[in-house]
Amino acid sequence: MMGNPLLRVEGLTAGYGGAVAVDRLSLSVAAGEAVALLGANGAGKSTLLKAILGLVPATGGRVRLAGEEIGALAPERRVRRGLGYVPEGRRVFPGMSVRDNLEVASRLGWAERARDLERVFALFPALEGKAEERAWRLSGGQQQMLAVGRALMGRPRVLLLDEPSLGLSPKLAGEVFAAVRAIAAAGTAVLVAEQSAARALSAAGRVVLLRLGRAVHDGPVETLPADALRDAFLGG
Amino acid sequence: MITLQLLVNGLALGAAYALVALGFVLVLNATAAVNFAQGDLVMAGGLLGVALAPHLPGYLPLPGLLLLPVVLVLMAGLGLLLAAAAYLPLRRRPPVAVFISTIAAGIILQNGASVLFGPEPRAAPPLLGGGTLDLGGLVVAEQSLAIIAVAALLIAGQQWLFGRTQLGRRLRATAQDPEMARACGVPVTAMILITFALGTAFAGAAGLLLANRYFVTPTAGGDLILKAYIAVTIGGWGSVPGAVAGALLIALFEVGVSSVLSYPVALGLLYATLLVILVARPQGLFGEAARRRA
Repeated sequence: MMGNPLLRVEGLTAGYGGAVAVDRLSLSVAAGEAVALLGANGAGKSTLLKAILGLVPATGGRVRLAGEEIGALAPERRVRRGLGYVPEGRRVFPGMSVRDNLEVASRLGWAERARDLERVFALFPALEGKAEERAWRLSGGQQQMLAVGRALMGRPRVLLLDEPSLGLSPKLAGEVFAAVRAIAAAGTAVLVAEQSAARALSAAGRVVLLRLGRAVHDGPVETLPADALRDAFLGG
Repeated sequence: MITLQLLVNGLALGAAYALVALGFVLVLNATAAVNFAQGDLVMAGGLLGVALAPHLPGYLPLPGLLLLPVVLVLMAGLGLLLAAAAYLPLRRRPPVAVFISTIAAGIILQNGASVLFGPEPRAAPPLLGGGTLDLGGLVVAEQSLAIIAVAALLIAGQQWLFGRTQLGRRLRATAQDPEMARACGVPVTAMILITFALGTAFAGAAGLLLANRYFVTPTAGGDLILKAYIAVTIGGWGSVPGAVAGALLIALFEVGVSSVLSYPVALGLLYATLLVILVARPQGLFGEAARRRA
C-alpha cells in the first residue's frame, strides 16, 4: 500500500431493505493509487461505491476521507469534501450540453472552471468538438468520457468509478482506462469497480476481490493468486 | 383588423397562462410531482395585488408594475412554505401523496381567500394604465401589451437563469436526475426549494397580470390549473418550451373560438381537442422524449 490512505473504509455494512450487500468490509486507497474492485455480479461492488458516497445508507462501519469521518454526511457534502463518482451506466444529464454537464459539477469560479474544462478536454479531446451538443446525442464511449470528466470537474481527491468499460468497445474502454491511469498518476486516489478483470488490473496497482459483499483478497496486483480471481468470479 | 385585435388579446392571455404553465412544469421537472395548488397560487397572487395596492407607501393606489416585484418576492416566500409543508415531508412517499397534499394546500388557499376577501370578483390595478392605444387603427389595451411584455421578460429571465448560470445548471441537473445531481455535489433540497419559489413567483405574477382584465375570485384557481395541465400535456410533459407554446396555443384557441361562438363552446372544444391530442399524439404536439428535455 502506498503512503497514508486518503480513503479508509472500516467494517462497512450496507444493503437494500433487509438484504445485506456489503458485509463488514474494510479497504483503503492512498493518494495516487488505483485500486481495482473485482467480483462477480452481485458481489457488492456497486453497493460499496454507493455506500461510500452515501447514496446507499450504511448500517454499520465508518468511511473516512483524509482522516475525517464522513459517514454521517449527505452525498453532496461528501462530494464537496473530495469524493468524485462515476456511476454505472454513465448517467450524464441527457438534456444538458456537454459543457453544462461538466460545469455543473464544478464549485469554483468562472476562471478556474474554464481552466478545469480545458484540462478535461485535454484528457478527452473527443469531447471538445461536442461541447455544445446535448449529452444524449453522444456515443456510449463519449458519454463515459463525459461522466469521468464531470467527476473530475469537482476536483476529487478520491475518484470512485463503477464499471467504466461496461458496454464500450475494447478500443474505447482502453481509452477510458488510459485516462484512469493518468488520473491516478496525477495524485488522485482511484477505486474502480469492474467486471472486466484484465482491464481493471491493467490500470490498478492493487486489487480487492469481493465475494458476497466481503473482501476475500486485498493486495498488490502482482501477487494476486490466479485461483483467488477465479474463485471470486465463479465461487469455490 | 379584428383578427389582429383577437391575436393581441390571445397573446396577452396566453402570456399569463404561459407563466402559470412554466411554474407548473418547473416544479414538475424538479420533483416529479404534480403541484395542483398552482392555480390557487395564481389566485393568491392576484388577491395579493388587490390587497397590496391601497396599502403601499403614501396609501395611494400604485400601478401594478410597482407591485410586481413585491408580489414576486412574497409569492416566492409562499412557494418556500408550500415546499416545506406539502412537498418535503412527503418526498419519499409515492407521488400521489404530494398530489393530495398540494390539492389540500390549494383548498386551504381558496378558503383562506374566501374568508379574507369574500366571494366577489376583485380587480388588481393595471400594470401601467387602464387605457387603450391606437396603433394605426388597431386599438389595443395598454394592459394587454404590458402583460405580454412582462411575461416575455420573466420567461426570458427564466431562460437566461437556467441556460446561462451555474444556479440554472444545478436546477436543470436536479430536474433531470436528482440522485446524480447530489453525486455531483449539487444541494438538491435547496434546488427544489428554489424551484418551488420560482414556480410560485411565476404563478403570482400571472395572478397579478390576469387580475386586472379578468378579475379574480377565490375559486378562480380551478380553471387555471386545468389550463396549465392542458398546456403542459399538449406541449409535451416536462418540456419547458412546450409548456409555454402550449399555453399560447390554448389562449389563442380560447379567444378565437369564443369570438366566433362562445366561451363555454370554446372550453368544450378545448377539452375535446385535448382528448384527440392525448389519443393521437400522447407525447404532446411538441413532445420530446424525456431524456431530451431541457
